[in-house]
Amino acid sequence: MTSPAKGGPAEGAPDVLVSARGLEVHFPIRSGGALRRTTGVLRAVDGVDLDVHRGETLGLVGESGCGKSTLGNALLRLVPPTGGTVTFDGADVTRMRRRELRELRRRAGMVFQDPFASLDPRRTVAQTVAEPLEVHGLHPGRQARAARVRELLQLVGLDPAVAARYPHEFSGGQRQRVGIARALAGEPDFLVCDEAIASLDVSVQAQVLNLLRRLQRQLGLTLLFISHDLSAVRHVSDRIAVMYLGRVVEVGPAAAVAAGPQMPYTRALLSAVPLPHPELERSRQRIVLRGDVPSPSRVPSGCRFRTRCPDVFQPCPDVDPALQPVGSAPGHVAACHLHGVVGTPVERERPDAPVDAGDPAA
Amino acid sequence: MTQLPTPGATPAAPPPSEPLPTAAPPRPRWRETLGLLARNPTAAVSAVVLVLIVLMAVFDETLAPDGPNDQDPSRQLQPPSWSHPFGTDEFGRDILSRVVLGAATSLRVGFLSVAFALVVGTLIGLLAGYYGRWVDDTLMRLMDVLFAFPAVLLAIAIVAIRGAGPANAILAIGIVYVPIFARVTRASVLGVREEVYVRASRSVGASDWRLITRHVLPNAAPPIIVQTSISLAFAVLAEAALSFLGLGPRRPNPSWGLMLADGRGFIDQAWWYTVFPGLAIVVTVLCFNLLGDGLRDVLDPRQRTLMAGGGR
Repeated sequence: MTSPAKGGPAEGAPDVLVSARGLEVHFPIRSGGALRRTTGVLRAVDGVDLDVHRGETLGLVGESGCGKSTLGNALLRLVPPTGGTVTFDGADVTRMRRRELRELRRRAGMVFQDPFASLDPRRTVAQTVAEPLEVHGLHPGRQARAARVRELLQLVGLDPAVAARYPHEFSGGQRQRVGIARALAGEPDFLVCDEAIASLDVSVQAQVLNLLRRLQRQLGLTLLFISHDLSAVRHVSDRIAVMYLGRVVEVGPAAAVAAGPQMPYTRALLSAVPLPHPELERSRQRIVLRGDVPSPSRVPSGCRFRTRCPDVFQPCPDVDPALQPVGSAPGHVAACHLHGVVGTPVERERPDAPVDAGDPAA
Repeated sequence: MTQLPTPGATPAAPPPSEPLPTAAPPRPRWRETLGLLARNPTAAVSAVVLVLIVLMAVFDETLAPDGPNDQDPSRQLQPPSWSHPFGTDEFGRDILSRVVLGAATSLRVGFLSVAFALVVGTLIGLLAGYYGRWVDDTLMRLMDVLFAFPAVLLAIAIVAIRGAGPANAILAIGIVYVPIFARVTRASVLGVREEVYVRASRSVGASDWRLITRHVLPNAAPPIIVQTSISLAFAVLAEAALSFLGLGPRRPNPSWGLMLADGRGFIDQAWWYTVFPGLAIVVTVLCFNLLGDGLRDVLDPRQRTLMAGGGR
């Protein structure tokens, strides 16, 4: 699977379509009552650096609650970022005015997880698919719009005759196709698929997955494929990014990440995928992580994975690891001190905290 | 996990293997709603009776045997008879005619006051629920203040300030019901606002205005519709109460509440004077209430599926 990078810049410097730098989405935790005091901060996305190259499929994996969806939403400013920047095709998304934001909404679409919730039950398929056309004034005129809706339905493998029907008459897979048709109506460059196959039947998952792959090639889309399903991600992605507790901890070419994970968390995640071969499956070594994911309102100091890491050692609690080149494949980076201690030393927030005597890495 | 096809598999679009809905003509939702309502006997009968009452109010002049104020001293306080089925009052006026003619007044006050409350209350609830934060706090605290007054007392106060008369009665009853509509709408909007399809529409660039009018309001409407029906019942009662207290429509023109008030003085000699206008109020209010209950059942999506499934 190579990305059809057409007209990209010089070799080695990939053409970046979407880019996040130090992106943060923090939600205030408010106490109840009339005063609504802010009692804490939930760090859903906490300092993410990520580039999505033009024309590629980037798979974003991680456990439930690690901030994958929030990141996807923040890239499109559907959730307002509280810090850092996002650029889309060179423009700063976080500072866009109303008109620019509307153009972004046309150029970047989203496919949602639950096809039973993402379609308005009171609007027909045609009305739903035509909404982006109306909003952006594309294909003006009743006939032209109806023709475009038929075209879009055909594109996603639906019979155009169903345009006048309501969502409740469709199965999950068919609804998801309607959702994809809506996302494609504005002829976007970028599509975020937020767990787009997670709530579908297994047999339908493969169909929708192949539909997305075909559309990506046919339309030259850039895809951010968010999923907790590693085998699906490996199947569709050119590159894979792994997220843990609000931070991207490893990024690299799909083959390199899948074959040689460089961060203990990625290793554990990959070891949990069953193999479709009885003998291999029997000899598979599972790395079982201790404990639960810490709450995003109480992120551990230093490396945020250290509380569950099987390879934890001295600098982990004291230095917040940065992404650094790892392995042999170009573009493969991971945030882990096993590859050399690189990162930001932890500031001692509480002076009364017990300081480890003779800390070599401090 | 999923046994996925290998990457080399055919890139052509796989034909959807699931059966698509057959090409029967689509049924608009309101037709389906009416169909379900027709299968609920109480609600259906109530709706029919209400239509008859409204028709009676519209064609009152042609239907009423006598004029509203045709006096005849020779037939004062006569009990019901063939020539005067509902009897006559102390001025010899035909009570049947006055009940028929009073329908227009009572219903006009009811409909117009509820229409006022519906428009203003829904708008307030919509803004409070959709925008939240200080908009919500400001508008809803204002509604709480209005809500804290006993309804009839507030209406009396408004009429006392602005003077008696049908227009002020409409305004007073309307203002009293604004907070109810605001609350019902807000509660419903709070739920709909968080729906994924609202976020999905925002993700394709829909404006707030479009989201509110095309997605939020239509999906938040069922409880508001039910509330409208029930409020009509209360508004007819409130009109009667205000008229009874002399704060609504003026004599000698008939209104059901006014007739109740006048009949009160003769209740020991002429039961028919109060009973028939009272019965008109009871029937109208009961029908609006029953229709409201029926609408509640029909418009609830879970009940709806049950009923539609059971009837097929």
